Amino acid sequence: MTTARWIIIAAILAVGLAIAWTARPQPLSAAERVDRISAELRCPVCQGLSVQDSPSETARSMRALVAQRVAEGRTDDEIRAEFVRSYGDWILLSPPLLSFSGLVWLAPLAAIVLGAALAWSRARAPAPAPIVAGPTDEELRRLRELVASEPE
Amino acid sequence: MNRIARYAAVALILGLALTLTLAFQRDPHDIKTGTVGKPAPAFALPSLTGSETVSLDQYKGKIVVLNFWASWCIPCKEENPALTDVWERYRGTDVVLIGIVFQDSADAARDYTTRLGNTWACALDGDGRMALSYGVFGPPETYFIGADGIIAGRHIGPIDEQTLMTGIETLRAKSATR
Repeated sequence: MTTARWIIIAAILAVGLAIAWTARPQPLSAAERVDRISAELRCPVCQGLSVQDSPSETARSMRALVAQRVAEGRTDDEIRAEFVRSYGDWILLSPPLLSFSGLVWLAPLAAIVLGAALAWSRARAPAPAPIVAGPTDEELRRLRELVASEPE
Repeated sequence: MNRIARYAAVALILGLALTLTLAFQRDPHDIKTGTVGKPAPAFALPSLTGSETVSLDQYKGKIVVLNFWASWCIPCKEENPALTDVWERYRGTDVVLIGIVFQDSADAARDYTTRLGNTWACALDGDGRMALSYGVFGPPETYFIGADGIIAGRHIGPIDEQTLMTGIETLRAKSATR
């Protein structure tokens, strides 16, 4: 292997390691956890706003409850589950995959897979055979008659 | 392949039609998600009128109509005559009406009940936790809790007398057959 190839491989590895290092799970502070969970919850009295972004009284109550649950040592899943128990999956801005609301994720995927399957099968289908058969004897006879009957 | 594509298109159209039919059939006042069909979350809140506590436990075995309201809420005022009529009809029976003051001050709420002559028990949900545990969106909202402690139904928006009566009598009939 040439030196240039080694350099390319080393560069790819370095970039991969850097990405993995940046994306590694980091311990969050209590305030960061409250912010993150609040950002995942839908404000029930707003139009498409998260609890984190809404200034409403209800959102304030929800944020306070999230903060209390975090302080009590509940996990993120337990806190989310408490709101889901009251409001259903609707309260999560990103609905879970394995639920009725999860259709919002699955439907576009299903449409893409179906479309790809259709396109693939169309591409693989044999092209329509060209018409190679010539005119029949009867057709030739009638053509000759027509040509012969044409005035000069 | 064309046949498969045609079947897929027909299936998609049928699916869309079915989804729309189901969606339009649903009464927007009767949201079944969340707490409906589950045990009613317990609560113990300060009473609006005195120093005592209003709790769900004290009405165990009774049919409870839980009404979330606020003095600033115009639709709450609209539904008040229906609540008054139903309260007068069922007062002293196995049916209890409890008002929960939602995002309102005690003074404003007390003034409201005095002006309208409401005499059923009302409790203050100061920090809004109780409303959150029930999955309340905003007032007025009414919950029907059976004698078994299960939330049987929920009505979002101003409620009328007929809806209240139907909800209560359905639960009474269910209690009678138990």
